[in-house]
Amino acid sequence: MTATATALGDGALDELRGILGGDEYVLPDLPARVNRTRVPAPFPVHRWGEFLPDVAVLPRTTEHVSEVVKLANRHGIPIVPRAGGTGLADGAVPLRGGIVVDVKLMNRILDIDLVDRTVTVQTGINMLTLNRELKQHGVIYPDDPASYPCSIVGGRIGTSGWSLIGGRYGHTRDLVISMELVLPTGEVIEVGDGGGRKVRKSSTGFQLKHLFMGHQGTLGIATEATLELVPRPEVEFAAFFAFSDYGTAWEATGALAKSGLATLAGVVLFDEWKLAYLRRDDEAYIPQPPTVRAVIASAMYGARDEVEPASRRLMRIAKEAGGKYLGDEISQGDWASRHDRYATPLHGRLKDGQVVPMCWHCEDASIPYSQLPAVREKWHAIAERYIDRYGIFDDWGMFAYTNAAYKPWGDYLTEIDIGIWEQELDEENWRGWVECKREIAEVALEHGGSITACHGATRAGDVELVPQEMGGGFEVMKKIKAALDPNNVMNPGKYLLDQAYEGENGREAVR
Amino acid sequence: MIGFTLRAQRPPEARRVNEDVVERFEHVFEVAPEKMTEHVQQQDIPAWDTHRIVGSRWDHLDWMHDHWADSVLSTGIEPEIAELGETMPSEERS
Repeated sequence: MTATATALGDGALDELRGILGGDEYVLPDLPARVNRTRVPAPFPVHRWGEFLPDVAVLPRTTEHVSEVVKLANRHGIPIVPRAGGTGLADGAVPLRGGIVVDVKLMNRILDIDLVDRTVTVQTGINMLTLNRELKQHGVIYPDDPASYPCSIVGGRIGTSGWSLIGGRYGHTRDLVISMELVLPTGEVIEVGDGGGRKVRKSSTGFQLKHLFMGHQGTLGIATEATLELVPRPEVEFAAFFAFSDYGTAWEATGALAKSGLATLAGVVLFDEWKLAYLRRDDEAYIPQPPTVRAVIASAMYGARDEVEPASRRLMRIAKEAGGKYLGDEISQGDWASRHDRYATPLHGRLKDGQVVPMCWHCEDASIPYSQLPAVREKWHAIAERYIDRYGIFDDWGMFAYTNAAYKPWGDYLTEIDIGIWEQELDEENWRGWVECKREIAEVALEHGGSITACHGATRAGDVELVPQEMGGGFEVMKKIKAALDPNNVMNPGKYLLDQAYEGENGREAVR
Repeated sequence: MIGFTLRAQRPPEARRVNEDVVERFEHVFEVAPEKMTEHVQQQDIPAWDTHRIVGSRWDHLDWMHDHWADSVLSTGIEPEIAELGETMPSEERS
């Protein structure tokens, strides 16, 4: 492979340079392509070359994106949108080469409207960067994923992202009011709740906004978004509580979540496997006695007049439920550390205790509160079997996080974190991981849950179960895909949507 | 003037915290050396670098608090972990 090897002809590359206005925006060189191949999720590193795009492009405007997509249709070239590349479902991973549309240069703030409380941005902007600018106006855009310092608005739309403070402020789908979108054929449309870029609620027509949330790049590329602005919180309050057993902590989690406190942004339950993991390496948990076997984390945001009395109520509920307060320093410090996973190198342990570098994968699901204890037992049993068999995995424990927007009760984002020694991946180990992942997803469905609360279900091990979870809805997905993307150029191969081009449609997937 | 003294940059001897962890400076923990012998080797880090990393960590946490809200509400309540005791329920029974 040469430094500029690409399956695209010089003609297509020249067309791209013409559309984008210069060589610096068209990147056929190997490093540029390798860097846009994978995401932080476990990746079959032994097959890296299979996922290389042919070229990466850096558009700066909606018109650029539209023209690139039209070119892809003319030439039958796959096209894969990519934002921060921090997703955990491979939405930004090319399955058939083609053009990666990297939106990071589309990072301008277009309009800050303090009257109608919106900010309109190009979708290549990062939320942390946006909020630094908004601070001077006394407002924030409260979309707070674990990847907050490095993820990007466009990716949040493409994955229908989940926010750590969604119980208070809502998740990405609730915070994006409307967007400008390039369809798979290159047409540009605006979608929201009805018409009007700044309208939060409308009953006009189909509710198209949700259709273009979480499609993992299969239905188009969002290029502008009008986002919600909320008052910058006067105070933050975090409180962590220790428990000597999971059952009591689970009961306490339910009590806190249904407390009705409007400023409550989230409640998180860590189980004993998670505590065991944290005791190896986390300065907040290493000194704690072995009697601490479960922890609840909670956080509030809002005006001081609201949060102060609510915090007292929260403390009382947790204590009456058996919780022991971990203190201000640990509570505040650990809450401020909530984005660490994307910033720190990770290591895990083999069964003999030896440290090895590992990548982190959190297998996520939406699980009803009542089912959490049973799912937890089954997931850890699955992980243990695969650890014993393959020796390259490490169980880093589970957490359950209030999942609903604005009202933190009911179902939970539930994750089991598994370390994977990527350097040892070969085809056998990789297939073992995919099987492990599938078993975990099957348990979620058995218990009335969903495969995923925030990552998406496009990866092997999950995606095979999407028709089962969606039922008749999957047939509708295929019809929509075939209608909007007649040439199957937009992120082909994802979500089993090649099936949309089989049978009576009689179309073949590109490449 | 603060001078650089090589001896002062050598970290103190480690204190064993548990089977997985040792501690050289107060509340600064390291993986137990015997756990890092086969696949990943531990590095020698001078004291100043450890202090720099710890200081940067606190700076980051302060920054993150300030990024999200005007102030942080404290309870003033001391940690209550001691109330859970030092032994496991199963150990108490035995």
